Amino acid sequence: MAPRIQSRSVSNLLPYITSSSSITSSSIPSLCSSSQSSRYFSTTPAPQTKLRRQMFEWLSTQGSGLKHHTPGETNYLRMADGSQSNRPFPNNMTFISEPVLSEELRNEVYFRVKEQKKSPRAVSVELGIDMNRIAAVVRLVELERRQRDKGKPLALPYARAVHEMVPTTPLAQAGERQPYHEPINDLPVHPLTGAQIFYPVPESRPFTRVDAGRVFSGAPKLEKKVSDKITHPSDLVDDLVQKPGSIEWVGKGDNARQVLQPADVRIPHPQLVQLARDRAAFPEERRTVTQRHTERLERQEKAEKERAARAAERRNRNTETIDPKDSRFSFRIKDAVVSEETVGKNGRAPWAPGRRYGVPTNDRTRGTVKIPTRVNV
Amino acid sequence: MRNRASNSLSKGKIRQSWSKYNLYNLQRLRSPATANRTFFQQKWSAKALGRAYHGEQVREGQWKRMFSKRIRSVIPMDTADLAADDGSKNSAGRGSGLQTQGEKGRPSRIIPFTQMAFAPLERRLDVAIFRSLFASSTRQARQFVIHGAVTVNGQKMRHPSYLLNPGDLFQVDPDRVMFATGAAKTKFERRETRQLKQKDEEDAEGDSEAKSEDAAETKPDAEKEDGRDTLKALMAQAKNIMSTDKEILPAKRKQELRGFQKAVRRVLSRSGTSTILTDNLEAQFSELTLMLNAKRAEKKPAKQTKQAKTDAEDSNAATSVESEAASDKLSEAFQAAAEGADVDASELTDEEFEVLKRALTQMRDNPIDNSKPYATPWRPRDFMSAFAFIPRYLEVNQNICAAVYLRHPVARPGSAEVPTPFGESISTPAYGWYLKRRW
Repeated sequence: MAPRIQSRSVSNLLPYITSSSSITSSSIPSLCSSSQSSRYFSTTPAPQTKLRRQMFEWLSTQGSGLKHHTPGETNYLRMADGSQSNRPFPNNMTFISEPVLSEELRNEVYFRVKEQKKSPRAVSVELGIDMNRIAAVVRLVELERRQRDKGKPLALPYARAVHEMVPTTPLAQAGERQPYHEPINDLPVHPLTGAQIFYPVPESRPFTRVDAGRVFSGAPKLEKKVSDKITHPSDLVDDLVQKPGSIEWVGKGDNARQVLQPADVRIPHPQLVQLARDRAAFPEERRTVTQRHTERLERQEKAEKERAARAAERRNRNTETIDPKDSRFSFRIKDAVVSEETVGKNGRAPWAPGRRYGVPTNDRTRGTVKIPTRVNV
Repeated sequence: MRNRASNSLSKGKIRQSWSKYNLYNLQRLRSPATANRTFFQQKWSAKALGRAYHGEQVREGQWKRMFSKRIRSVIPMDTADLAADDGSKNSAGRGSGLQTQGEKGRPSRIIPFTQMAFAPLERRLDVAIFRSLFASSTRQARQFVIHGAVTVNGQKMRHPSYLLNPGDLFQVDPDRVMFATGAAKTKFERRETRQLKQKDEEDAEGDSEAKSEDAAETKPDAEKEDGRDTLKALMAQAKNIMSTDKEILPAKRKQELRGFQKAVRRVLSRSGTSTILTDNLEAQFSELTLMLNAKRAEKKPAKQTKQAKTDAEDSNAATSVESEAASDKLSEAFQAAAEGADVDASELTDEEFEVLKRALTQMRDNPIDNSKPYATPWRPRDFMSAFAFIPRYLEVNQNICAAVYLRHPVARPGSAEVPTPFGESISTPAYGWYLKRRW
């Protein structure tokens, strides 16, 4: 917005005569004097000018420190009491600028997963990085290497500047302890647990996390025979890792839901609970504890791999892949199946394949979203 | 879509932008007064403030459809706690655990649920690009998407409203990112660009004429010419510095720069293989660094004559951290190189070699290139650091300007992951406003 002259500089009996001279007069703030005003005859107070002046004053005094950063330090607005902190918004105490992975730590993750062939689960526990992040880092580093090999342009000075501005988690030197990047055992709050339920239980009967999960999901009480076998909720982990489909269902039709499992099962690293239990049970036998832990991990990994292989096989069973010579493309051919899943109940589902006679395309109707909802890798 | 979102000072609304107006508004933001205002008025102004920042590019109806009253949250679990108790301790007694007199549970921190009121908007592609620090505002991010500079999972995505799914990898063209986050050109640099463009056009005309005359002659030399051109460009960069700030630069500096040019040329021409001059820039650079290393190894037993001088240089290098200092370092390195070339590189100290190597690295990574739309060598734009943070739900690789959307943002005890400049006094009434059964 063009700067305006303040009313006081034009407040004269004959504004149209003096206005031109008032522009050149020294009473106008230096910032506004550079451009001519188009409001010669206006006597309306224009507060913007004052605000602009205040803004530039602030930017040149208190705000001047924010213009450039000091490498390795955050440079956010100061809090109300004038202190510097890791909160970029002084009014929002709940948002913290959390550290990002440093370049070296990122490469270390890639090295451990790709070169040392460690499982993402193991690397996650070693470095205190979330498993999803491990997978993402491996993807990104691989992409970066590919781009470097191809000689594509990189934004190296930009990357250096950003890593100077935001807090980072460094890679520990040899002999030091690696600082944890983030909590790795986050339990997502399940919507079923939002309800407040009054559920009377006799005081003589132990009420565990397994029972609480059943109450929240409206499942009947476990039989005594079954519940007596479970000494601790983490006993369920092994079975569920082997057979995730064995979780019990309750309800009918649309209301069908799986029984809510205890936190010991639902956290990303359930094996750590079992490890902690082993440690408490055999405090003197370190070797036994470690051995049991590695065995458990191996079993778990094996089961996961088998499951993934089975899923891939199921996907490929009905698909024929043709790779023509000298072609960039590979063709996947699937036989069309007419069933409720593929074409819907009435055969007119929007996701049904092909053009169907008598079925209008609904993409012009109001409210039909044509923006893709997923991009397959 | 017309941009109605101005950075007005009188309204003082906060936008998703790195502008200095925005920074000033952010700094003077106070929670709105509640005295003498009805609850409706409080909610109205809170939601207006909130929406000015969160998705002002999204129509109100569209946002209302996106809003969800259910807010994602997580509780970080301690495995030792889980192992110690199967839950029966917590449910003992009257259902809330037995507590002896002295023992008190851990002080529980509140989960700031309403701070996550605008969480669904963080899934949008344009917002995620802004949050990954690839654009200086959401509007700019939106433009990048529309102009086809963004890919999602390797495919070009032209919809800024695409909702990212956990695991999606998006990538922005590095040149655009450098433009968005870099300092703007000065008018001298802009003039340089214009002149460069004119020169290129003239050259192209001349070339086409020449080519039509003797196409057969030029063809076999094309690759060689290419390599030499890159080297020439390297030389020209130092020249360019001089020409841009002719008045500002002292004459001595000019000499240094020329010396550096000479040095590089001499070093390359003296090398054993004559193909380097024709190779690409990358190979030349690696050759130069290799030779530097070799010379350094040769002269290791030699005496350290310039100790005092290099110390001074080092301290200079350490203190100069400001954006302008980059060119200073470069010139120091030029100086070192010029000296080295004159005395046949054997009298250079280790530190000087280091500086020279750094200069070479910088010349390769952050070159002076007037054809770029940002000031070169690249430096971050003013006031960028005040807005520089990367939320946890994104994993960003700045080198290739790519990021992965790991998961949806969540709240946890004591902190919320949605970056919002507002406190509880604004986000809570705004959340209430969008509930179906309004408070």
